Amino acid sequence: MKSVCGCHIEARFVNITHNHNSNTHRLRNTCKHNWGRSVPLASSSTGGTAHTAGGSEQNCYRVEMSLAYLRLCTQHRLALGARGYATHTSDRRSREQKDEGPVFQYVGKQSKPNHKVFVWGFSYTGALGIPSFVVPDSGRKKPRKYQLTPYRLETEQQISSAACGYGFTLLSSSTKDLTKVWGMGLNRDSQLGFQRTQQDRYKSYDYVLEPSPVPLPLARPQQTRVLQVACGRAHSLVLTDSEGVFSLGNNAYGQCGRKMVEDEVYSASHIIHKMEGFDSPVTQVVCGQDHSLFLTETGKVYACGWGADGQTGLGHHNMCARPVAVGGDLAGVRVQQVTTYGDCSMAVSQDGQLYGWGNSEYLQLSSVTEATQINSPRLLPFEGVGKVTQVACGGTQVAILNERGKVFVWGYGILGKGPNLSESQTPELVPPTLFGRSEFNPAVTVSRIHCGLNHFAAVTDRGELFVWGKNVRGCLGIGKKEDQYFPWRVTVPGHVVDVACGVDHMVALVKSVI
Amino acid sequence: MARPSVRVFHKLEGLFSIYKPPGVHWKLVRDTIETNLLKGINAAPPPAPRQRVQFLAESTSVVAEGSNELTLSAASVPALAHHPLVSGPDFQHIGVGVGHRLDVFSSGVLVLGVGQSNKALTDLYRSHVTRDYTLEGELGMATDNFSHTGRLIERTTYDHITRDKLERVLAMMQGSNQKALLTYSKVDMSTQGAYELAVKGELRPDGKSPPIMTGLRLLHFQPPHFTLEVQCLNETQRYLCRILHEVGLELRSTAVCKGVRRTRDGPFTIQHALTHQHWTSPDVIQAIRQYRSSRKASKAKHTQPGKDTGTTDHLC
Repeated sequence: MKSVCGCHIEARFVNITHNHNSNTHRLRNTCKHNWGRSVPLASSSTGGTAHTAGGSEQNCYRVEMSLAYLRLCTQHRLALGARGYATHTSDRRSREQKDEGPVFQYVGKQSKPNHKVFVWGFSYTGALGIPSFVVPDSGRKKPRKYQLTPYRLETEQQISSAACGYGFTLLSSSTKDLTKVWGMGLNRDSQLGFQRTQQDRYKSYDYVLEPSPVPLPLARPQQTRVLQVACGRAHSLVLTDSEGVFSLGNNAYGQCGRKMVEDEVYSASHIIHKMEGFDSPVTQVVCGQDHSLFLTETGKVYACGWGADGQTGLGHHNMCARPVAVGGDLAGVRVQQVTTYGDCSMAVSQDGQLYGWGNSEYLQLSSVTEATQINSPRLLPFEGVGKVTQVACGGTQVAILNERGKVFVWGYGILGKGPNLSESQTPELVPPTLFGRSEFNPAVTVSRIHCGLNHFAAVTDRGELFVWGKNVRGCLGIGKKEDQYFPWRVTVPGHVVDVACGVDHMVALVKSVI
Repeated sequence: MARPSVRVFHKLEGLFSIYKPPGVHWKLVRDTIETNLLKGINAAPPPAPRQRVQFLAESTSVVAEGSNELTLSAASVPALAHHPLVSGPDFQHIGVGVGHRLDVFSSGVLVLGVGQSNKALTDLYRSHVTRDYTLEGELGMATDNFSHTGRLIERTTYDHITRDKLERVLAMMQGSNQKALLTYSKVDMSTQGAYELAVKGELRPDGKSPPIMTGLRLLHFQPPHFTLEVQCLNETQRYLCRILHEVGLELRSTAVCKGVRRTRDGPFTIQHALTHQHWTSPDVIQAIRQYRSSRKASKAKHTQPGKDTGTTDHLC
């Protein structure tokens, strides 16, 4: 018996007797939902007057038989899963005339939410991982240059960490399977590893249009888990739990932490370097434009790469080809988070103090210095911001989150307080009413903040994503190409867990609501 | 000089709210109120009738035999042209207008206006006030008209639903409604003015918009029953029942609406709504007076710090 809505379930129901003619009518009206199909459980036994004592066992047996013949539509994955038996529905006889008829179960009691990945932004580099946007799979379709609203990206595993670089993306899963990291987008500097072409085994793809496995040279591939990935302009870093940090991509300035080779050709390169020189296991990695920062367990910060703006914080403006511990005001301080994306770097210590170094041309560090660069970390004493828990640094702007969930922004560009505020030296509070706080929800706070090159993203504790800033090629995901001057909700179907911001695209890790 | 019935009618000209019980059409309610008010108006004692002089002919025994003179005597008699038994009651129809209507299934605050106040009624609704509702829902059933009186379409299990999941679904719905509020406000988002209004929470649609819920909250949850409190604009009651049905679908189950109760319509709350026993003219006069005094008090409170709220202050 097929459902009229076309969902291709073939299910045979128990007790299609003269008592239950109304059942078939009811079933024809069901399955209007497009999120799953279900199997009706055994009908309640009041209708089965023709069946006596052994009736209920027979019913269960028949349901089992009919389940064996069930053919579900492949697109709909259900919680039917391994449970092929019918549970006895609890007594709901309080409804007078509605006792007969099947009771549908769409989701079991122990169901867990699904994890999904959504992408949006500029797609021609392949950074969104959807090949049909660049090379349409049907003659009638046109290539989609900008994806202005979130689009679901199917992944094989549950993705736990994502990072967006300058035109490429890395996704990683904390699985013990052999493939743990997938990359898509630009690969001219092998920032996604060696992606062997079909025709020639010595050539690598320059643009990877689909999430493709990154071949990490792990010593124990079936035990190591990847914790985090980070992407810069042309290099990437992969952090594992027991094998340290791996770096891939461009090393022209030493950002991969290995010795620079003159005239090295980075495209079609197989080199993935396992970094050494840390005193304790690394807990966080971040990539700036051409430099890398590492945070170890002891709270020390290491840096390597391009230092012309002092973004390495090592006290000089030269390049550095191996990770060196950062000193300055950070000496002896236990750092809990580091961040960078452009040429300015920031760190937050365990006791809520903020330190910054690097480029200050856009007033990021103007509260402590008039110079345009600082090459050694300096404490940024701000009053009125409370204890800082997170900091996010973009190309020209900085945002901090304090322990009360309040967001402060400063720097240059679209800061989030309307078009009139385009630059600020000191932190400006973004009013919490813009993040959904109202008299109906007085307790909504922001739980994570991130910065892309020219925009901001904030995730609230209710799982909503707010973005603001320059809408570079549709990277905000709000459905239009205009810039957004104050925080605006992005409509994502689900509860946003984390988000990664790039130059012109973004990736969101989302959990379904149920 | 106004007649007593006209004075009573002038006292009745104002806005007041009543509690409409469920199961009855709003028009019946309006007609009942109109009848009761007319009874009250016409029960006022008629003024004493005007006296007029009427010349009555003398009785024949007094007239002398053979004379042709007509002798008349003056008498003061009441003029009966305006007596209620002659000309009928003073008022046979008064204009009772209804504010935002409630359908048969719903109950709650219904705003009515009498006579000249009907103009204030249209002003009230043109100022796009929000309304508060309390929705009772039941999980596990889906019907064709989204309420428990409809034909049953499907029954589902709901043992996987917890309070936390329900609140997450409500948060998601509220998020999308708040976004709709900003989108339909038709203000250019790239201006500083739009930012200022958004911070204050005053970025609202001014003209036509689809129904938008400005607030949604879970009051009570005991599976299968739950109660939501909704604050909305431009809604219909059927839309609210549909919201409950959609909450059920988002929870991977089904839900129907068992009751819709409006607790506030603009400035009229359920505390001051008149119940069935009080649909008489003295109670209505008192309700109108109470509403007017509370408006004066709130206006004084708002103008004291020197700023004007500017929403519905131009009402009577």
